[in-house]
Amino acid sequence: MAINLGKGGNVNLSKEAPNLENVLIGLGWDARATDGQDFDLDASLFMVKEDGKVPGDTYFIFYNQKTSPEGSVEHTGDNLTGEGEGDDESVKVTLSKVPAEIQRLVIVVTIHDAEARKQNFGQVSNAFVRIVNRDNNQEVVRFDLSEDYSTETAMIFGEIYRHSGDWKFKAVGQGYAGGLHALALQHGVNVG
Amino acid sequence: MNLTRGQRAKIADLVPGGQSLILGVAAEAPGLVIDFACFGLDAQGKLSDERYMTFFNQPTTPCGGVRLETPPGDTTGFAIDLGKLPATIERLTITAALDGAGTMSQISRGHIRFMGASGEVARFAFTGADFASERALMLLEIYRKDGIWRTCALGQGFNGGLDALVKHFGGTVAEAAPEPPKSAPPKPPAPPVNLSKITLEKRGNSVSLDKKSGGGHGEILINLNWTMRAGAVKKGFFGGTQSNAIDLDLGCLFELRDGTKSVVQALGNTFGNFFGPPYIMLDADDRTGTRSEGENLRINGKHWDEIKRVLVFAFIYEGTPNWAEANALINLKTPDQPEIEVRLDSQNNSLPMCAIALLENDGGSVRITKLVDYYRAHPDVDRAYHWGLEWVRGRK
Repeated sequence: MAINLGKGGNVNLSKEAPNLENVLIGLGWDARATDGQDFDLDASLFMVKEDGKVPGDTYFIFYNQKTSPEGSVEHTGDNLTGEGEGDDESVKVTLSKVPAEIQRLVIVVTIHDAEARKQNFGQVSNAFVRIVNRDNNQEVVRFDLSEDYSTETAMIFGEIYRHSGDWKFKAVGQGYAGGLHALALQHGVNVG
Repeated sequence: MNLTRGQRAKIADLVPGGQSLILGVAAEAPGLVIDFACFGLDAQGKLSDERYMTFFNQPTTPCGGVRLETPPGDTTGFAIDLGKLPATIERLTITAALDGAGTMSQISRGHIRFMGASGEVARFAFTGADFASERALMLLEIYRKDGIWRTCALGQGFNGGLDALVKHFGGTVAEAAPEPPKSAPPKPPAPPVNLSKITLEKRGNSVSLDKKSGGGHGEILINLNWTMRAGAVKKGFFGGTQSNAIDLDLGCLFELRDGTKSVVQALGNTFGNFFGPPYIMLDADDRTGTRSEGENLRINGKHWDEIKRVLVFAFIYEGTPNWAEANALINLKTPDQPEIEVRLDSQNNSLPMCAIALLENDGGSVRITKLVDYYRAHPDVDRAYHWGLEWVRGRK
């Protein structure tokens, strides 16, 4: 049973799903049925230290850099249209392999080229982002992007963070102006 | 509240009670003919019951949950009572489709707005810059999700126009309308019961609509309706026209305060402009007389001060002049005023043109005089009323 978290809500992943080890972040949406430019949503993840910055650019996992150096985070690939059932993009995390210096995994969802294409989440049908326990395929948390973030073009979904030896998840659900570029800068990535 | 494209909201957050509302639709699009409709769709987004498509030929759903109703100042509109809709209807999509050439990028401006009991509560405004080559649009949706009615300002569409829209809703498009079955011509309907209407019975009768405090008159709606009606059948949204139909066109001559004089009519595609001069717009060309609401000429009463006089006429474009059979009726509506009816009686069947009524600016008031004179053509009407235009032949 998925938990529908409000903005800023917390859930203890270790307690909600004991022995949580393999996590999947799934992003799904419907391909555009009308004429016009495709809706290209992207899921990305920043592996940050205590100070909120990445240790290096290789800890920014996105469509052009699909795995972290030690292999704990893996992006399964870029979907440009939303074609297909279920999760259209996913990021897999093996929590036990996350380096000790990484305190938080910040998960973001953005619309590629949203400004030029004049798009927002509300124009996209059935857009969602969720966290799934891959060991039993249980959905832990889900956000409805189309309904609840209709006027946004980018959002910080949430953070998986260390707390007293457990992994917790905090639902942030905060819209963000400026897209992936601004988000990367904020998390210490050297963006060209 | 202004809704941006893509924006979603719960109906209850927009309209108190969240049950009954009116959607007002307007589009200023010179040269375009836009047909609006409301599709009532099932859980799969399909039109599984055609009776739930609400448009000019089918003005209400069987349940009464959606019916045509135009708020003052809008082009068209839909009165919606969500509580009356059956459980099978999960979604109402308001659409716009072009009839004839053009693309939606030619819209200069338009809106769809939510009207509650106390007036406008939310508005989705759009312009042609929001579109490219679309010829049909889904403007706005009202849909049920997890038992809660919501809305989305969609503003997306199809380059393929109405056909693509209908396919999207699971329909098929007929290649050609079949020949209507032959049947005896129905009798002309009995004259309607007159409810708080003023009927101008005799030629030369006139009535004055006093200017209300605050200035302006709101929208003056002039409706022409007629029964033509040999073997009339309901025309489908994409059905053919009838061979024996009378095509009765509504139009007007106008003269503005600044001396500008011209004509608003379907002939020559001079449909006018509601928001700019001449502040008069023709919004539908009914080729068959089967549109339930006929043809409408709208005068923007806010700018009545800039208008000197308007001569409303009807013209039989195709078909033998037969006013008796056409049984035409003109109806003038202004907000908060009794309706005024002018029946096209004292028919002269050999002449195709009828000067119906003259609207004059009488110190800010609208003075309406019944004419019902018949003429051979536009120039004759012009001469009779000293308008002073030059006339050339034109076609639609």
